[in-house]
Amino acid sequence: MSLKFSHNDLFTLLLAIGVMLILARLVSELGKKFKLPIVMGELIVGILLGPTILGWFCPEVFAALFPKAGPAKIALDGITSMAVIMLLFVAGMEVQLQIVLKQGKAAIYTSLTSMIIPFTLGFCTVWFVPQWFHYEEKYRFVYALFFGTAMAISAIPVIAKILMDLNIYKTKVGMTVIAAAIFDDLTGWLLFSFILSLMGKEGEITSVGYSVGMILGFGLFMLLIGRRIIDRALPWVQSKLSWPGGVLSLSLGLCFLCAAFTESIGLHAILGAFIMGIAFGDSAHLHEKAREIIHQFVTNVFAPLFFVSLGLKVNFIQNFDPWLVTIVLFLAVICKLVGASLGAYLGGMSKRNSIAVGFGLNARGAMEIILGTLALDAGLIDEKMFVALVVMALVTSLMSGPLMKRFIE
Amino acid sequence: MKFDLSKLKKRPSHPFESIAVAVAFSPRLESVLSEAKRIKDLLGSSLLLVHIGEKTKKKESLLEKAMATVGIKESDATILWEPGSPVNTILGLCKYHIIDLLILGALEKENILKFYLGSFARTISRKAKCSVLLLTHPSIAPSKVKKIIVSGVDSPKTAHTLSTSVYLAEKLGVKDITLVNEVESDVMAMTMADSSTAPEASKMKKEMVQQEESKLQGLIKNCKSTSVNIEIKTIKGKSGYAAGKYARDRKADLLVINSPDKHMGILDRIFTHDIEYILADLPCDVLIVHSRI
Repeated sequence: MSLKFSHNDLFTLLLAIGVMLILARLVSELGKKFKLPIVMGELIVGILLGPTILGWFCPEVFAALFPKAGPAKIALDGITSMAVIMLLFVAGMEVQLQIVLKQGKAAIYTSLTSMIIPFTLGFCTVWFVPQWFHYEEKYRFVYALFFGTAMAISAIPVIAKILMDLNIYKTKVGMTVIAAAIFDDLTGWLLFSFILSLMGKEGEITSVGYSVGMILGFGLFMLLIGRRIIDRALPWVQSKLSWPGGVLSLSLGLCFLCAAFTESIGLHAILGAFIMGIAFGDSAHLHEKAREIIHQFVTNVFAPLFFVSLGLKVNFIQNFDPWLVTIVLFLAVICKLVGASLGAYLGGMSKRNSIAVGFGLNARGAMEIILGTLALDAGLIDEKMFVALVVMALVTSLMSGPLMKRFIE
Repeated sequence: MKFDLSKLKKRPSHPFESIAVAVAFSPRLESVLSEAKRIKDLLGSSLLLVHIGEKTKKKESLLEKAMATVGIKESDATILWEPGSPVNTILGLCKYHIIDLLILGALEKENILKFYLGSFARTISRKAKCSVLLLTHPSIAPSKVKKIIVSGVDSPKTAHTLSTSVYLAEKLGVKDITLVNEVESDVMAMTMADSSTAPEASKMKKEMVQQEESKLQGLIKNCKSTSVNIEIKTIKGKSGYAAGKYARDRKADLLVINSPDKHMGILDRIFTHDIEYILADLPCDVLIVHSRI
């Protein structure tokens, strides 16, 4: 098959992107009327356009719009890979480590327990009840690590939105939840990068040391030195280069360079993007408008393409395993609720507020879906587990706000 | 040195009844003493001059000469010569003598290594159990303070910081104070990125600013000053950084901020926040108010 990008391929690619973007926006806006998260609308469009619905009822149209092979498919895969890198860059920009440092005992305890307890319970479930899950035996340790991470991760944007809607963002409960979510995301993504770097190197003890060393070395270098260089350069960039073009191209350029670097040293590209996001978003010199533009650009152009593309990959009906979905959902809610509530309670909060913190941190949102997609692409999990994770992410995001409201004092 | 901490606890943040000056035999000795004398005279406070180090004839005569130059009589001040670690000894003396205001000369910016490891003035500013005045450009003929900017961060300490600023403004003859309301917009950008319409976004922003401003209005009402006018100014940016930048841009004479809420370590300097932004690059003279709550 020729890999030349023909006129037809370009037409197919542009048509697919156009349909994905417009339908995603329309359905998401409709979902917003019913207070559903935007990501849900995007996933529904994916399911409608993918093998689950369109591929089932009109296989010819589906094959024409989203060919299974060829240059158009490669180009679309390239765009969605870029999208996930940019999503992780924006996720990094949301990590404000100062917020964790600023908060007191309750935030520190909650951060630690909301990470450690779900991770440990998730890991132990896979390790001691392997019959509930499907994985290759050689990946047992890595799979257990992944499932622990999937239980521990949170979604800062969803949580921040819930706190703002409830008008408790600036309260002690609100800041504790945000601080813990930041800590969970940071450690969760570092851990996940480690897991991805282990894939395919099972059994090689040196690869574990290499991965840990590289992640720590790169992370420390970027957070201590790279961050400072960016902070020094930003005022110049924002005042001397075209506005906002200068800062936009520089930020995304650095994001891709960093992602390329981590990919080249055997770590996943997402790590580079995530760490660069932290370094960039941390700068006090970054103008509010620039931050807004980067967020808008990524979440409104690339995020829909990414989330719609998930529905194109997997048949959600065929791979819906009620037993697995129930287990994953039950474990996710219990692990996070117990972990986060315990930390908040030990940190001096009342019982009701501690439970509210637990439900706040329970929202997994888009971050869990990204985590699941990367694991699916890496061959670590199967489609059934992926669907279970997506359902869990959506259900936990939907239940978080009402339950927080019910318990908060 | 034993100190009775109960005397310090709940002691109001003002008036500044007792002032201490850390004496260092640097070229700025006379100007720091001159500024201290002026403040002491305006506030009617007692004055304690502290030097951490050996008492030698040479140092004694240098201090006497500097005091004479700026007009501090021996009877106006108590002089202490103490051995030991500069930071801990000064902090201990301030607690022992129940000092309300400690005056220090400070460079606008320290070199990176010194900043991370902790210089004398910065370390004391983070740890002191009394208010600290950092003088960046002390002068033998101090100029009149005209512009005072107060950081209005959302904290129980801010009420004390504002009332202390008003007390100081009244004594210094300053007519206007600007109370800065710093709005951090990082979270707004994140939450509004994909799910808010333009009117929703602007409504959300407006409500957030209004909420903060109404809190500050409440604090202003409680100040009850007739001679000082307090104006609220809302600025966007990270807490600490925005106030410092505003003070620099407006060429303020004095920036007044809260003392830190917790012990500030090296991590707080690496992932800079709040007071650390200001200590990293002092925009003007800075008064750190310890509210002792």
